[in-house]
Amino acid sequence: MKLKKYLTLTRAGIIEALQFRLSFVVMVIGNLLYLIVVYFLWKAIYASAGTDVVNGMTFTDTLIYLVLATALFNFMEMYTVWEIGRNIQSGKIVLDLLKPMEYRKYLFWSYSGSFVTQFFLTFLPTFVAVAVVTHGAVPMGINLLYFVISVVMAVSVNYSIDFIVGTICLYTESIWGINIMKQVVVLLLSGATIPIAFFPDTLRTVVNFLPFQSIYNAPLSLLLNGSPDTETLLTTLGTQLIWCIVMMAISKVFWKVSLRQITVNGG
Amino acid sequence: MSAIIEIKNVSKEFRVLNRREGLKGSLKDLFSRDYKTVRAVDNISMTIQQGEIVGYLGPNGAGKSTTIKMMTGVLEPTSGEILVGGNVPYKNRTKNAQEIGVVFGQRSQLWWALPLVESFRILKDIYQIPDEKYESILKLYRSLVDIEPLLHKPVRQMSLGQRTLSDILAAFLHDPKTVFLDEPTIGLDVAMKSRIRTLIHALNKERNTTVILTTHDMGDVDALCRRIVIIDKGRMLYDNDIGHLKSFFGSYRTLKLRMDGGLKEQAKLVQKELPGFSVSADDEWISVLVDEEKAKIMDVLGKLQHSFNIRDMQLEEISTEDVIKKIYEEGVQ
Repeated sequence: MKLKKYLTLTRAGIIEALQFRLSFVVMVIGNLLYLIVVYFLWKAIYASAGTDVVNGMTFTDTLIYLVLATALFNFMEMYTVWEIGRNIQSGKIVLDLLKPMEYRKYLFWSYSGSFVTQFFLTFLPTFVAVAVVTHGAVPMGINLLYFVISVVMAVSVNYSIDFIVGTICLYTESIWGINIMKQVVVLLLSGATIPIAFFPDTLRTVVNFLPFQSIYNAPLSLLLNGSPDTETLLTTLGTQLIWCIVMMAISKVFWKVSLRQITVNGG
Repeated sequence: MSAIIEIKNVSKEFRVLNRREGLKGSLKDLFSRDYKTVRAVDNISMTIQQGEIVGYLGPNGAGKSTTIKMMTGVLEPTSGEILVGGNVPYKNRTKNAQEIGVVFGQRSQLWWALPLVESFRILKDIYQIPDEKYESILKLYRSLVDIEPLLHKPVRQMSLGQRTLSDILAAFLHDPKTVFLDEPTIGLDVAMKSRIRTLIHALNKERNTTVILTTHDMGDVDALCRRIVIIDKGRMLYDNDIGHLKSFFGSYRTLKLRMDGGLKEQAKLVQKELPGFSVSADDEWISVLVDEEKAKIMDVLGKLQHSFNIRDMQLEEISTEDVIKKIYEEGVQ
């Protein structure tokens, strides 16, 4: 009964997303263009390196990684920061705050419908296409299960970070700059634009202590590594779980504190 | 009857940055700690009984919305106590939300892209309304308004009136004890206004729902409220039944006229024709304040028609602003 309260929002999100057919087409075209750029960029990088393997990854490895990262991005990016910011500016947030549900949960579940549609309409087709084109370079086994578990936690960490950044909008009342900064930082440090294997050693060490790599690097490395040993598996999932809990707690507390202070401006 | 809302000595202060003008001023503002405190709501107390319809009036910026936001739990009062259905709203916002409904005339809580019935289903699940209760409410709605054509229409295709109607139905769906209506008739035509008023009245009667209504339209107040509360600049000016106010300032309406010739000169002539009436003129209209208990509008108009060439006319209900002005000038309590 309790879960129904949330799942109904998922359902609404799916129906809502399906109303806008054209936006899928536009998005698929946009992604194709991005992937073409990525292809030529990395081809040039590998050509200038003069070896087939750079930082332990072949050209195909890198490309598979980046294509799937893009697909994952489309699936996970919910533009929460924009949404919170817009709701604050327009005052619509008052209506959302008056739902008998925590705002953090309300927003998440309202968006969860688009996870489902994006997963089936963009991630899955991309994944299948990559698997077919590369003739089995993507391992298919138990790693798929690890990947799914890892993605669920990645979604949670990603949302918490977005929500924290969105909360900052309560103070600044502007969204643009903050959101752009968040996007750049998250995409770079999470390994979505450049595989973490390519980072210089110091940066890689730093990144390992940050929550961002839980979003893209963790699920993708579990997916592409056919048979990870138990230790790698447990550290990866364990780190994700810790970040999951920590970020959730921070986002919850930060929102609570901020709301009391900031509704000062009338909202 | 029992008290559903109790407000005791509530004040709300906002801290606002003192902005300076111009580019130089804006640059200085970046580092400024120069705040001033604005008292949006100043020591307000009232008790509202279950089932009452209370008109909450005041000019723009009087502090109406701030009070409503405090009652719904979005804002925390700076001082004083608020209890809504036994809850302290800002402390138990989620719990309080279960027992109140809100309609803001300017925005919709409905799902934009979905047909109304989907929005209702979502709200049914969010508020965990049992099936029988949901069905009985829908049955009530069917008996009150012609809801069928609305149910399957996406909200974004609705006219403003249909949307407001739907929003009101959505706010009453979970059978809340109190519903806050913030300017529900804003921007609607006369026919729709009257439909909305009938609906609010019927829902209040059927469900014994307490209704707090903010509006600028004295027509809404006349049609719905027995009690009105007026605030201005955050302070409470009046809290009594509407009859009391009426008996004090009479039932005035403003007759607005446009006629040939310079309005200023014409106004003087009109004044001569109608001794004892208050006549004024602005750039567009000559306004005559008519107390309908003393003179009929039609008689006044008939009288004027003999001596003037009237090109256009309008009738205006006395506005909240006029009422407040009068209270300030003459005092009422």
